[in-house]
Amino acid sequence: MVDSAPRPRQLRHVVVLGANGTMGFGSGALFTRAVPKVTFLARTRDKAAEGLAAAIRQVRSPTVADRVEVGSYSEDLERALADADLVFEAVTEQLDLKHEFFARIDAARRPDAIVATVTSGLSIDALAAPRSESFRRHFLGLHFFNPPNVITGTELVPGCDTDPAIVDFVETFAARELGRAMVRTLDAPGFAGNRVGFQLLNEVAQLAEEHGPSLMDTLVGRYTGRALPPLATIDLVGWDIHRAIVDNIHALCPADERRDTLALPPYMARLMASGTLGSKSGRGFFARDGKRKLALDPRTGDYTPIDELPKPEGVEFIRDVTELHRVGRYADAMACFAAARGPMAALAQRVIAGYIAYAYARVGEVTETIDGIDRIMGFGFNWAPPSVLLDVLGPEATIGMVKAAGLEVPDALAAAAALPAPRFRDAGVDVGKFFVAA
Amino acid sequence: MTSPVYVLGGYQTDFARNWSKERKHIVAMMREAVLGALADARVEPEEVQTAHVGNFAAELYAKQGHLGAFFVEIDPAFRGIPTARHEAACASGSIAILAATAEIEAGRYDVAVVVGVEQMKSVSSTEGGDFLGTAAWYDREAKGIEFPFPKLFGRLGDEYDARYGLDDKHLAAISALNYDNARRNPKAQTRTWYMNEAHAMCRTNDNPAVGGRIRIADCSQVTDGAAAIVLVSPAFAARWAARAGVAIDAIPTVLGWGHATAPILFSDKVAESRGGQYVLPHVRRTVVDAFRRAGLPDVSGIQGIETHDCFTTSEYMAIDHFGITAPGESWKAVEDGTITPTGRTPINPSGGLIGAGHPVGATGVRQVLDAHRQVTGTAGDMQIGGARRFATLNIGGSGTTSVSFVVGFAG
Repeated sequence: MVDSAPRPRQLRHVVVLGANGTMGFGSGALFTRAVPKVTFLARTRDKAAEGLAAAIRQVRSPTVADRVEVGSYSEDLERALADADLVFEAVTEQLDLKHEFFARIDAARRPDAIVATVTSGLSIDALAAPRSESFRRHFLGLHFFNPPNVITGTELVPGCDTDPAIVDFVETFAARELGRAMVRTLDAPGFAGNRVGFQLLNEVAQLAEEHGPSLMDTLVGRYTGRALPPLATIDLVGWDIHRAIVDNIHALCPADERRDTLALPPYMARLMASGTLGSKSGRGFFARDGKRKLALDPRTGDYTPIDELPKPEGVEFIRDVTELHRVGRYADAMACFAAARGPMAALAQRVIAGYIAYAYARVGEVTETIDGIDRIMGFGFNWAPPSVLLDVLGPEATIGMVKAAGLEVPDALAAAAALPAPRFRDAGVDVGKFFVAA
Repeated sequence: MTSPVYVLGGYQTDFARNWSKERKHIVAMMREAVLGALADARVEPEEVQTAHVGNFAAELYAKQGHLGAFFVEIDPAFRGIPTARHEAACASGSIAILAATAEIEAGRYDVAVVVGVEQMKSVSSTEGGDFLGTAAWYDREAKGIEFPFPKLFGRLGDEYDARYGLDDKHLAAISALNYDNARRNPKAQTRTWYMNEAHAMCRTNDNPAVGGRIRIADCSQVTDGAAAIVLVSPAFAARWAARAGVAIDAIPTVLGWGHATAPILFSDKVAESRGGQYVLPHVRRTVVDAFRRAGLPDVSGIQGIETHDCFTTSEYMAIDHFGITAPGESWKAVEDGTITPTGRTPINPSGGLIGAGHPVGATGVRQVLDAHRQVTGTAGDMQIGGARRFATLNIGGSGTTSVSFVVGFAG
C-alpha cells in the first residue's frame, strides 16, 4: 500500500474543477476534511464562490472556508495546477468538454500530480487516451455518490495505464482520511453501482407502465432491502440523470443478458419532453397536492391521489414480511417473502431475483469479485447487497426464485450458493439495517 | 473480586442507524445485539442461564416497559430463563453488568448476557431533552426547562472555572478528539460527520449554545443503539477455553469495579464538595474503588479509558478524577496529548459518547465491550497498542450514579 510506494506522497493541495456543481462542491467540502488547501474553480470566480457557499451549507460548517480558495478557469487554472497534488475534475458529463480541460491540465500539471475524474458514465480509458504518458499513469476515476457527506460508497476506477501505486494511494487516502467505503471497479459502463442499481430501477419503471408506480413501489418496497423504494429513488435522482445512465449502459452493453430491462420506457421519454423530471420539477412518478400524495398514470400522464387508487389485491404477504422485519427476524421475513404465492408476489420475487442474478452475473465484468458489488450496493445505494439477500434467503430459496423468474443462474451465484453462510463478511455492517419494516 | 468473571465477547449495533426510520420495535435492536454477541462469543443460546437488560426510558421513548421479558422474545431457547431490567439513567447499562457479575460471583449462574438498549430518535430533540430531564430531579431541575442536561453540565464547567479556571478551547479539543477517534470506529454515529477543532470552537449558528458554555459540539448524541456482552464463571470459562482451543489465561476478566451514588441535585453535589479537591468526590471514589479492587495502584496500571463524555465537561472532569492529572489540571492532559490514541492514557478510542454516540441504556455495556476489544487486540483501527487493562466510567444523571470497571488481565 502506501508504505511500499517509492516515496511518501502527501496531499497538501487539491484543485476541484466544476466546483459550482453538486458533485464539485460536495467533493470539495469532503477534501477539506483532510487537505489543508482546496481550490474551488468554476467558469467565473463568482460561480466558484457559490460552490463554496453551497459546500458550507452542505456540511454546515463555516470552517470549510478556512481551507478553500476560489478562482476561475481563465485566470486561475494554470496557476493553481502548478502547485496541485491532486486535480479533481467534476465538470459537466460531456466528453469533448472533459477532453478540453484534461488537455489544459496535462500541459500545466506537475509531473507527479494525480488527476481524478468523478465521471459516472464515461470511460476512464477513453478520457485518458489523448493524454501524455505521465497523465495517463496518474489518472483514475474517483466516483463519489451524491451527497458525498452522507453516502460513503465510492468507486475507484483505474485505467489500463494507471500506476498501481497511485491507485493504492488514492484508495488508502480516501478510506482513511475521507471515511470512504472504497470499491475498486473495472472501467465498464456505469461501473458497478449504477450498472447493477439502475437495472433494477429501470425494470421497475418499465413495470410501472402496466401496474402503476404506487403498486410497483409497494411490491419492490423498502421491505425488500432498501432505504427508499425504486421509483421514489428515480424521482430523487432526476429522470434526466436516470435516462443518461440507462441510455449509456444500453448503448454500450449490447451483449447484456438483461438488455431489454435497460431500455428507457417510452412513456418516460414522452413525459420528459413536457418537463417531467422527478422531484426537482415538482412531479415524477409521484407528486403532491398539498398534503396528498399523487401517483402518475404512465399511460395518460395524469396524477391520481394514492388514497383514491383501488386497493391492490394479493399483497397481504407484505404485511407479514414487514411485521417480521419489525421484530428483527429478517431470515424468517425473507422466507415468508420467498414462500408467498400469487401474481403480485411473483412480480416482486421476479425483480428481487433479477437483481441478485444480475449482480452475480456482473462478477468479472464490473468488479473482480462479488464483494465490490456488495459494498457499493450497501454503501452507495443503501440496498441489501446481493450476498446479504443470498445469506438471508438461503441458497435454495434464492436459486428457486431465480429459476422461477425464468432467469439463468449465473456461475458466480451457483458458486456462492455452495459456500457456507455468511457470505457477506463485513464486520462493520449490521445487515439488519437494510431491511426496513415498511 | 471473590471469583473472577470472564468476558467472552459481545456486539454493538451501528449507532448511526435510525430504528424509527427502519420502523422497528425495540426488541429488534435487542435481538441484533444479543445474537451478535453470542456469535462473537461463540456461545449457543441454549447455554445462556440469566439475562440483564439495561435501559433508561423505553416507557417514554418507545411506550414499552418490561424489557426483561423481551429478552425471551429474542430466541426460543431463552424461554424460562430469569431476566431483569435495570435503570439508573445513563448508568443503566453498567448497573445491569453489576447485577450479572454479582450473580456469577455468588455462584448462582455460569453464563449471563447483558444487553443495554435505548431507542431515542422516536421523538423530537426537545421532547427527548425533557425525557432526559427525568434523570435529574425532574420537578426541581428539569421541569419546564429546554435541554436541562446541557445546562447542568454547563454548570459543571462553571464550577471548574470558579475553582481552577477553565478555558473553553480545552473543551473544544476534547470534542474534536472524540470526533476524530470516531472516524476509526465503523459503528460510530458520527464517523462521517464534518467536524474539526475550529468548528468546535466556532461561536456561530452552526454551533449554537444549548446550555451556558455548552454548545452543540460539546454534546453527546441522540442515538438509537444496543450493545451486549457475554459474562461467564470460571467453570464455564474453563470449558469454553478447552473447546475453543485457547488458554483460559487469554480470556479477559472484570478485574475491578466501583459504584457510588451521590445526592441527585447538582447544587447538593457542588455544595458537598466545596473546599475539596475533587468537584465530584463520589465519582473519584468510584474510580479509586475500581483500581483498588483490580489491585492497581492508580491510573498507571491501565492502558486506556472509555469514559462518559455526555458533554465535554464530563470528560474534562474524568481526566483529573481518574488521576491522570492533579485536580483542576485536566487541561494539561488535553494540551500535551496524553489522552490521544498514541498518548500515555488514551481516552475514548471509540469516540466516546460524543463521537460513537450515546444510546443511554446501552452506553455502559458498549464501554465494557470496547474495553474488551482493546485488551483482546480486536479493536481494529481503534486499537491501542499493548493494551492489557482498560477502565470504564459510566455516569447517570449529573454525576449522580457512577460505575467504573477495569477489564483485562492481572499482572
